[in-house]
Amino acid sequence: MTLSGRFVLLVALGVVPIVWFGSSSEQAAGVLLLWLVFVLTLGAVDLALAASPRVVTIERMLPARVRLGESVTSELYLTNTGRRRLVGVVRDAWQPSAGAGRNRSRIVVPRGERRLVSLTLTPFRRGERRVEQVTVRTRGPLGLWNRQATLNAPGRIRVLPPFHARKHLPSRIARLKELDGRTSVMVRGQGTEFDSLREYVLGDDVRSIDWRATARRNDVMVRTWRPERDRRVVILLDTGRTSAARVDNEPRLDTAFEAALLLAALTSVAGDRVDFLAFDRRVRGRVQGATGAALLSQMVDSMAMIDPELIEMDWAAVPGQVRSITSQHALIVVLTSIDAAGASTGLLSVLPQLTKRHTVVVASVLDPATVLAAATRGGRTEIYRAAAAERALLDVARVSAAIRQLGADVVTASPAQLPPALADRYIALKAAGRL
Amino acid sequence: MSATLTTDAAALSSAGGTPTTVATPTLRALLRRSSFWIFAFAGIVIVAIVGVFLSGGSNAAGRALAGDNAAPAGSMALVEVLRQQGVTVTLADSLVEVRDAVGADSTVLLYDENGYLDAGQLTELAEGAARTVVVAPDFLALQALAPSVGFGGVSDTASLTADCSVSAANRAENLLPGGATLSIPEGGHPLLTGCFASDAETFSLVQVESATGGLVSLVPDARVFNNENVTGYGNAALALGLLGESDSLVWYLPTLADLPRTGPPSLAELTPGWVSPVAVLLVLAAVAAAFWRGRRFGPLVAENLPVTVKASETMEGRARLYARSNARLRALDALRVGAVQRLARAVGLGRLAQLDEVIGTVARITGSAPAEVRRVLVDAIPHSDAQLMALSDALQALEQAACRAVKAGVVPAAEAAASASREFSPPPAERMEP
Repeated sequence: MTLSGRFVLLVALGVVPIVWFGSSSEQAAGVLLLWLVFVLTLGAVDLALAASPRVVTIERMLPARVRLGESVTSELYLTNTGRRRLVGVVRDAWQPSAGAGRNRSRIVVPRGERRLVSLTLTPFRRGERRVEQVTVRTRGPLGLWNRQATLNAPGRIRVLPPFHARKHLPSRIARLKELDGRTSVMVRGQGTEFDSLREYVLGDDVRSIDWRATARRNDVMVRTWRPERDRRVVILLDTGRTSAARVDNEPRLDTAFEAALLLAALTSVAGDRVDFLAFDRRVRGRVQGATGAALLSQMVDSMAMIDPELIEMDWAAVPGQVRSITSQHALIVVLTSIDAAGASTGLLSVLPQLTKRHTVVVASVLDPATVLAAATRGGRTEIYRAAAAERALLDVARVSAAIRQLGADVVTASPAQLPPALADRYIALKAAGRL
Repeated sequence: MSATLTTDAAALSSAGGTPTTVATPTLRALLRRSSFWIFAFAGIVIVAIVGVFLSGGSNAAGRALAGDNAAPAGSMALVEVLRQQGVTVTLADSLVEVRDAVGADSTVLLYDENGYLDAGQLTELAEGAARTVVVAPDFLALQALAPSVGFGGVSDTASLTADCSVSAANRAENLLPGGATLSIPEGGHPLLTGCFASDAETFSLVQVESATGGLVSLVPDARVFNNENVTGYGNAALALGLLGESDSLVWYLPTLADLPRTGPPSLAELTPGWVSPVAVLLVLAAVAAAFWRGRRFGPLVAENLPVTVKASETMEGRARLYARSNARLRALDALRVGAVQRLARAVGLGRLAQLDEVIGTVARITGSAPAEVRRVLVDAIPHSDAQLMALSDALQALEQAACRAVKAGVVPAAEAAASASREFSPPPAERMEP
């Protein structure tokens, strides 16, 4: 049961009769008593005439997924199975980060009928956003006292990573295509494979003329080459405690998601096989053997539920995990953070095992604030800050040098630049035939 | 892509037809669930009420000499005994009640502990009753009723014997010693009778015959009448003798009601009658408004929120450590190492270039003295924050000068070629590593 503002006003209106008829103290007290009895009776009658909110049947229609930053409509169908006309307010109790905004709607449902309440959701956090309950508040004909009940109507919507980096995809695919076209003039060798035979045109490398095919036909035929296909790429995501840190108001993990998605999209276009693994001390997400559109949708689906775990990454288990995915040579992209030498010993200790069989790229976010601080030298405090920033950059440089010495490749960039930088590195490796 | 993802299969979470379950309990369920607490609370209240009734509804001390007080300081024992003896005892709290109750042949007991009565009221009281027993009279009472009697201090004799003409005192024979006394002027007074003498002038009971014929008994020691001591010595006999002489006794303990009212009229007398009810009504409206605004629209929704860790926290912390410990040289070294690496890259030397090479090349292309470049990059030691800032500025100036010179194309081609081949040479012995 709840009261309404109208009831409060009605109670306060009792001032008029009390002042009017209350010439003496006792008389005024009597009028007060009468007024209270009157108001309470009115409220009770109103409550008794209100429709019961317990008889409402609720059905919920929800899209299963939404990309972060986009809006969806949540539909709620309320059926009045009671005998009275239901007038009231409905609150759809979504979690705050589902972005439901003002989630109270007025409804009028005649007996035995059904009404739709739709709500626009704009989630502002990745993951699974839930709603468990719907609260219905019905009012009587006078609108003095209300009945209220909370009904169970669970629903969930999976909010996928936004994949802002997909804007870089067309330009990178174009560069891949260029790579394809260049191959007829490229010296064939490692990293390329036979594509097709075609007629010789002026300007083709005479070394690529296939004499046997030329002999079979009247025209001069050349062989064309293209980058090797069906290479394996393993994207390994560090979801340990360092991935929770925010760089440019974005957790490292989310930047890593962006980079992984762009790389996966590019790789599947290039014809290579992608496997995705999110790991800290145990596997948090794994996508294996998917291709085409299914690959990306499976990846974002598994990413949606991954949150940074506040535990240390277990690097010693990483080679075993990689071995469980592939025993062939593969490009292994490790998305982690390169900080101080001390914090990176785990990574450095297992890199030789990985580089022995595979090509390894370690990608890490570089904090633009640190780069900016290193260049700002205003006063005493800023100089010490610049020194600390410089020291942090040197630490990153030292760890990067150590990683390179162990035979792996390093990509560091600001959060906005990391996905395209990683994609570029992949294209460069592919062009060099190192996959 | 986004279209395929967002318009993926629509999920119907609750099957149509089956009624939705209700999370809010009904009133009956609520009562049943909290019945234990309701009964427990009711039990506590009942026990408390019964306890209060059993303990007589009064606290341990109560009012001293009150006729309905069974505590040691009260006088209920005396009053009950008097009633058993057929005396009508009226308990009075104000002079008005005394006036109503007192008759021509009444006895009045007056115990004015806090001195509420003034001289006029005291005289009126003494004149209205045939016999008045004043317990522990104060100065004002003595002035009004027996001006010649004074205070006699505390009795120091071990036993008090009646030794006077008052029959009640004679029946009592002795009295609780060690109480306050009254003094009678030396040589006596025709209207005064003193009993229970401590010495020649001080007495524990003084009887005064007033001019109007009333008899006033002054008992300076209040303990004689209380429940604790009334059974000792001849206390009970004296009390019964003094108080039980007539059929009606008025037991009068003055209260605040006896004080004359003074000062301006109160607020309640000045305001119209409806003010208090309106105030009550507005308070009730405010309570209703609190319920209106305070009632939650369904339960709160819980959500786990991620931790927010800024990645630059460690850098800031290290900067503060440098600043607090004035680690100027250490800070400057960090800046220098960074500057040397950037300079080496800017002038086309590799990452692993030796320091002397970098200094030489930078000095050559910027046209400054190698010693000066060396001072800025290596030698100078800052002894104050001002020097540190100057050196930091010099480092930045050097970097900018080198960049400008490189853009203008000062770097000799031989230099660039040499550095390119050096890239792959083994690491030199002297390296600028922190």
